[in-house]
Amino acid sequence: MSDELDRIRREMHAVLQPPGVRPDDSLQITRRTFIHRSLLFGAASVGQTFAWWPLLNTIDVAHAAEAPFKFAWISDTHLYERSLNTRFVDKVVRAVQEVQAMDPPADFLIFGGDLAQLGKIEELELGVELLKDLKIKKYYIPGEHDWYLDMGKKWGELFGQPNWTFDHKGVRFIGLDTVSRGPDYWTAKKMTPEERMGHMATLDGTVAGAWAGVGREQLDWMQKTLADWDKSKPIVIFSHNPLYEYYPPWNFWVRDWREVNDVLKPYTKVTNIHGHVHQVLYNEIGSMRSIGMLATSWPWPYAPEGVPKLTKPMIRVDPGDHFDGVGWETVNVNADDKVDVEYIMWGRKEVFVQTPEDHDKSIEEVIRPRIADNQYPWANP
Amino acid sequence: MINTSTFLCILRRSTVAGAIVAAAVVVGPASANKDPVTPKQLKLYQEAFMEEVRKGDLLFHGDAAMAEQLGVKLSTTGWACAMCHPMASDTHPHAFPKFQQSMAKFATLRDMINWCIEKPNQGEKIDPESEAMKALEAYITWSNTGSVLVPGKY
Repeated sequence: MSDELDRIRREMHAVLQPPGVRPDDSLQITRRTFIHRSLLFGAASVGQTFAWWPLLNTIDVAHAAEAPFKFAWISDTHLYERSLNTRFVDKVVRAVQEVQAMDPPADFLIFGGDLAQLGKIEELELGVELLKDLKIKKYYIPGEHDWYLDMGKKWGELFGQPNWTFDHKGVRFIGLDTVSRGPDYWTAKKMTPEERMGHMATLDGTVAGAWAGVGREQLDWMQKTLADWDKSKPIVIFSHNPLYEYYPPWNFWVRDWREVNDVLKPYTKVTNIHGHVHQVLYNEIGSMRSIGMLATSWPWPYAPEGVPKLTKPMIRVDPGDHFDGVGWETVNVNADDKVDVEYIMWGRKEVFVQTPEDHDKSIEEVIRPRIADNQYPWANP
Repeated sequence: MINTSTFLCILRRSTVAGAIVAAAVVVGPASANKDPVTPKQLKLYQEAFMEEVRKGDLLFHGDAAMAEQLGVKLSTTGWACAMCHPMASDTHPHAFPKFQQSMAKFATLRDMINWCIEKPNQGEKIDPESEAMKALEAYITWSNTGSVLVPGKY
């Protein structure tokens, strides 16, 4: 990271995370949150971080719920047509069966985006067909892979409005669309819809640019939606992308995350649950906690920089086992003011690394953006 | 004491040796046929390298036209290398050769590339000496420029 970028990040952090400001003032001091706090007050080295993390498979988030309940999250299925890739289909089937088998059942399912890989009608319809076996109420937010072939037309026909809100047992839930407001990188270059989708579907591509964002109009909608909500009551916000800056080259952020934070600042119990990153992530920005979820399709490596200090990384996966490093999640909202997010990673008892060597960044790497997509005819002027 | 004949002998030898050194200095580079590398040549070498990087970048990202041009089938599942390795992340070219658990052998980067083509991608293994392999290797190492060599590190 350049010194300049480092300086900017430090300044931002100082503004967003002034001394004493943390999510959820009424937080119980559990073992895990105690450790979070200790990390906040000292730049722990990787070694120290690993030495201090407890062996827990859940992330504790405090809430004040009226009654205990749980819901499930599935995202990033990245379905191709069935004839091309059956492995991704098998994994969705497995996740659906497991969510359906939850006892007591989940109150609802959140689908966190990237149902399809290339936004094709057949891919989106395959997703609907596979999720049909799940009988509980389902809510969907879009991912960029669902959107940029036909600019959300088919997705809208299947699932309706991409952003929404509802209240459930004392918690206000909000679903955001963080994908549809990408800059127009296709018109001037006369791209076909398939070419537009191809660039968008390449995580490390340089052509689609900083496409992830909430947008002024949706921020205003969010502000209005929260206007009648008690500042101390819990809010859970679902988004495809993380609502903070982790690694912009892969759009592991929303570009207007500062504005999002401005809207959420007055509320003390905000939890953001997001997909897109295909990895275990945990962060705190101002009064918001942020939790990254697994994909069912495949895991991404951690970015070379920007991984939040508060994240305990997931294990390094076995690339020969396509059920490794992926899965789904349950979110338990308990009566004792706690929410546990549990990662269901198939074939793993321990989701988190146990030793520094087991982290995919245990070998330091320096990487750079690709070049082949930034030459004729896609080069930016 | 050095007598006159010894002195003349030393002088003669020194003169011969001096003449050889002088000749080597004057005609040496020409007779060894070595010219300094010109900036123009350096540019050409770099361009030749970057052309392979470009090809490797396209292969790595599942470009069908480049795969066809080089006569390879790297995947049959829609999956491309870059889907697990954005910006060639987590390929660790600087750690090879090393014992690779997934293959249960001491492996090179080329072995690893072929393993990924065959297993996760379900494509067809490529000739380790082929242009496609060298291009993939060029892209992966180029993208990891600046990473420190840690051979053998798992």
